[in-house]
Amino acid sequence: MKVTLVSRSGREFIKGGLELNDSATVADLQEAIHKRTKKFYPSRQRLTLPVPSGSRERPVILNYKKSLKDYCDGNENTLTIVFKDLGPQVSYRTLFFFEYLGPLILYPVFYYFPVYKYFGYEEKRVIHPVQTYALYYWCFHYFKRIMETFFIHRFSHATSPLSNVFRNCAYYWTFGSYIAYYVNHPLYTPVSDLQMKIGFGFGIVCQLANFYCHIILKNLRSPDGSGGYQIPRGFLFNIVTCANYTTEIYQWLGFNIATQTVAGYVFLVVATSIMTNWALAKHRRLKKVFFFYLSNY
Amino acid sequence: MASALTVLRRLYLSIYNWLVFIGWFQVLFLALKALKESGHEHVYNAVEKPLLLAQSAAVMEILHGLIGLVRSPVSSTLPQIGSRLYLTWGILWSFPEIRTHILVTSLVISWAITEIIRYSFFGMKEAFGFAPSWHLWLSRYSTFLVLYPTGISSEVGLIYFALPYIKASEKYCFRMPNKWNFSFDYFYAAILALGIYVPGSPHLYHYMLGQRKRALSKSKKE
Repeated sequence: MKVTLVSRSGREFIKGGLELNDSATVADLQEAIHKRTKKFYPSRQRLTLPVPSGSRERPVILNYKKSLKDYCDGNENTLTIVFKDLGPQVSYRTLFFFEYLGPLILYPVFYYFPVYKYFGYEEKRVIHPVQTYALYYWCFHYFKRIMETFFIHRFSHATSPLSNVFRNCAYYWTFGSYIAYYVNHPLYTPVSDLQMKIGFGFGIVCQLANFYCHIILKNLRSPDGSGGYQIPRGFLFNIVTCANYTTEIYQWLGFNIATQTVAGYVFLVVATSIMTNWALAKHRRLKKVFFFYLSNY
Repeated sequence: MASALTVLRRLYLSIYNWLVFIGWFQVLFLALKALKESGHEHVYNAVEKPLLLAQSAAVMEILHGLIGLVRSPVSSTLPQIGSRLYLTWGILWSFPEIRTHILVTSLVISWAITEIIRYSFFGMKEAFGFAPSWHLWLSRYSTFLVLYPTGISSEVGLIYFALPYIKASEKYCFRMPNKWNFSFDYFYAAILALGIYVPGSPHLYHYMLGQRKRALSKSKKE
């Protein structure tokens, strides 16, 4: 069949269009586009069905697994597809790795090296036990995240724009340094021993719970990332839709109870608001897809 | 019922815009008068009262946006008003040593002309219901071409030249140790503010250029 490719302005994107098998899938089309244009690898391509001008409907995005025939209604021999370049893409694995690497490396710098000399403080300082435990807790947390990224999480086909690498790294690396600066400060004031134990204890429990949540989510998908969209069940997912975010938020709360810095609490508030937005969106999406999805709220 | 509210809204906004317009007109007038009679070192003292008043009144605009009285998004008014208040109260009012700098004159004049045009434009729209003639409207989208660079350079320059006074005075600083392990250094915050101007200014200018292009092409069609 003949596929005509246009850009969003209506101009023909590939002169003369592309010729494909009648049984070809969208993935085959993506490959063909890539071969022809060299620059636009499949994850950069956003392929949609044309929307009649004036219509306010959201365009239908082509699913890479479906066959092209599914999108032709009527004429089986021609198809017009709208192409948009999403810009350079990175896999989520790559994105997460660089986001998490920053905090993992930068935090110990504030603990081990005489960084505060450059802020005008004397070199000699007393290290409180809580500061050492905080270092272990923090580094374990980000080490866990990196391990999960490579061995637990099953990512769908999705990629992220390259610009997100800079944005996300700025977020994690800046906050990581901001918190590390205060927790390891020579003038740091520790909380009581009991408060520290409660904080870290609670935090560790939440991190373990969070790990288990990730296991549950992983089992919803097959190893190649397919399995589509499913309702997570069991454990805390019976109470909240995004139990993984819940446990993550509470884990940070534990860290802050133990270390007590304004910087840490600011980070907690920001992270919570971001994850809350994600959770609300996911909950709404699940309700739309599985309109019999019952929830407690 | 609805139309009574509309009338009230227009009355309130007309009064608001014209009052602030008068404030900024005073600022421009007194600034030029002081410049001519006494020199640039005395401009701040001459304009201080109307400047503090007119600039602080702009906080109302955030409220107007939040309660839906006007259509402007809070996301764009907030940084603009934020930077104005920072310069007005956080630099000029807080550090008297900077008030005699010549950049105060360029700052105040740039701001005043911009605001006079803006408030009279909205004042006329609310009071008389129509957008002013093509000319006046054009000046709203053209004067910024000069006034944004002069205004922003003055803002950046004043923050920069105030840095030694900020550092020496230790004003607005909160030090450690304390039980919340928190500190705030106004000097470093000022440097951060300067840093924000670097990407922020071209972004804002670019945005205004886009607005201008849109507005002028729209008028061509009419």
